[in-house]
Amino acid sequence: MTMTDEGVLPVAEPSEDQHRARMARMVNEARSGHAEAFNGLVTEFTPMLWQVARATGLGRADAEDVVQTAWLNLLSHLDTIHTPAALTAWLVTTTKREAWRVRKAGHRQTPEDPEVLILIPDHADGSEERVILADEHQQLRKAFLTLEPRCRELLRIVAFVPRPDYSEMAIRLGMARGSVGPTRGRCLEKLRAALGEGGGEK
Amino acid sequence: MIPDDASLLATVRELFAVADPMPADLTERIRFMFALRQLNAEVARLVRVDEVRQGARGTEESRTITFDSDSLTIMIRIDSGAGESVRVDGWLAPPQSRRVEMRMTDASLDVMADGSGRFVFHDVPRGTTRVIVHPPDGSPADATGDGKSGPAVAVITPALILLSIAVS
Repeated sequence: MTMTDEGVLPVAEPSEDQHRARMARMVNEARSGHAEAFNGLVTEFTPMLWQVARATGLGRADAEDVVQTAWLNLLSHLDTIHTPAALTAWLVTTTKREAWRVRKAGHRQTPEDPEVLILIPDHADGSEERVILADEHQQLRKAFLTLEPRCRELLRIVAFVPRPDYSEMAIRLGMARGSVGPTRGRCLEKLRAALGEGGGEK
Repeated sequence: MIPDDASLLATVRELFAVADPMPADLTERIRFMFALRQLNAEVARLVRVDEVRQGARGTEESRTITFDSDSLTIMIRIDSGAGESVRVDGWLAPPQSRRVEMRMTDASLDVMADGSGRFVFHDVPRGTTRVIVHPPDGSPADATGDGKSGPAVAVITPALILLSIAVS
């Protein structure tokens, strides 16, 4: 599998290269059975998989089960995975598939609205820093909610991908088959535009 | 100022980390699951929990829990006093001497079951734990992870939560 970028190449800082090298090493070590490397991957990728599972509308308890199942499945597939990009793709796809399987099993409650942003509480407490942060979040939240659902899902997941430059391929693999999924670049562009309109002075 | 891709995504990440935070212990539980899996163990099923009995002075409680696997039955009795830890007495059936471990998420305790299958942990900290019965000496758990178990494998119970007993 080759990794080609599509004009969304991020600025390569030295630290990013180091991070990339470290991730590649962890994948190799995990494949040869190093528990510590595997644990490192769990730390890196689990926050992303949580968002993947929750974005399908699963409740929190089901999402936890699904994420654990994905990791368990990985144990028997690790020997086929050689790069962090392939790992990202595999984990996202497997988590989604498992999430849909659980949803389809149907014996769970009705799915939650995956749009958790509607429920986000307003921060109305003290410190100036908090207020500024909250204000920034509020603006972004409003802009985010104007996006089409698939862009929302994609950006939600991409935001948690450990290496931004792996996300393009990974997420496209996770998208519904037969459709040209939205790209990260296009969705970000829309979000930026929505921020510009909604923000007024900014 | 127009935010670049990286800072925009960072803000999206912050937003969802607040709106829908991952359970704090999720990664820890996955690591725990992996550690257990490396033992290539049979997972025992919980088959029975007896009634909670009041101790003589009303400050102690004990409950007996039975787990079953293909190769072993594990029975444990948990005695909770008012202290920080609990005492766990256990029996293996069929009776046999095996190394028995209490595996917490960040620590573990080891004892040997005697020839009659009996074992005792005097001080087990409260919290989440599992009981692991290791393979007999000289037959380490299959480390290849190919799922083909040898004649004797480790047996692991589901997680137990050793709770504090409210003492008035």
